[in-house]
Amino acid sequence: MKKAHNIYKSKKLIKISLEYDEFNNIIHSIKITGDFFLYPEESLDRLEVSLIGTKLEKDSIKQNIENCLSDSEIFGFDSDSITEAILGCSREV
Amino acid sequence: MNFNFSEIRVLETRYGTAAWNMALDEVLMNCVTDIPVLRLYGWKPIAVSIGYFQSIEEEVDIQKCNHKGIDVVRRITGGGAVLHDSELTYSFITRKYTENILESYKLICDPIVACINKLGFDARFVPLNDIVVNGKKLSGNAQTRKKGILLQHGTILLDVNVEKMFSVLRIPSEKIRDKMISDVKERVMGLNKTFEEVAFALKESFSEKFDARLIVDEITIEEEENTKNLVKEKYATDEWNWKR
Repeated sequence: MKKAHNIYKSKKLIKISLEYDEFNNIIHSIKITGDFFLYPEESLDRLEVSLIGTKLEKDSIKQNIENCLSDSEIFGFDSDSITEAILGCSREV
Repeated sequence: MNFNFSEIRVLETRYGTAAWNMALDEVLMNCVTDIPVLRLYGWKPIAVSIGYFQSIEEEVDIQKCNHKGIDVVRRITGGGAVLHDSELTYSFITRKYTENILESYKLICDPIVACINKLGFDARFVPLNDIVVNGKKLSGNAQTRKKGILLQHGTILLDVNVEKMFSVLRIPSEKIRDKMISDVKERVMGLNKTFEEVAFALKESFSEKFDARLIVDEITIEEEENTKNLVKEKYATDEWNWKR
């Protein structure tokens, strides 16, 4: 299991702590933190849970985020920026 | 929707610990009636509050805070880490609000802008949640909604000590500390007024904005008890503060 972190500057800062399986590229655990606003707040917990088991590739992550946050209002990032923030973890050396 | 209120319950709860301050905000949310609450308060000891989605580990130098006797608490609202030192903090809690988040921030920031302007400045609201004078931020605000009740709390800076702020907040690298300090000094300002002057103007502005009579009140024994319990059960616990 590989651990990785990434800080991504969108309108607000998004910080990702990720644990993923390097061989099949599957997310094992993820923590998303930052100074953004999200309503209702609990939707971030739901998003983190739903990302577990997701393939670490753009379309799967983005679709997951869009499904999960479809009824939420976000200020400070969008589905593209959070997808990039997550993918940035696996690009770290 | 008409956002006038016939009355606003005003609570001036003086200086409290970080956990007590945040617990009382939540208690007031749980028991607010059709009469909204405007609470004015300060922090003793001084404190860092982090946004709901932030991590203490990432944002705060906890050893320095412990060493300096600075409280640390997680808010129920999003946004960034704040050092609560020389400022007036307010909370506004209401059952009547617009569902549109941007509009609701503006609605409650309007009297704050008016308050600052009463004190001789030319302030304006900058969406989503800031109030600035000449491009410099002097008020940050954050809100949450739960069970049909909106809480917005925020700060009005009286004075700014950027060095002190950066001494307890984590920064990406020591190399850029001086640059960050000088940047923030350029972008943030305090009113250089007393707590009492700002409190007076703020109460007046809320009354005028919402065409409401102010009812100056104290927290009830039940609210006090519930706050103490919520401090113990939530805001003073590692489970809450180190949640993320």
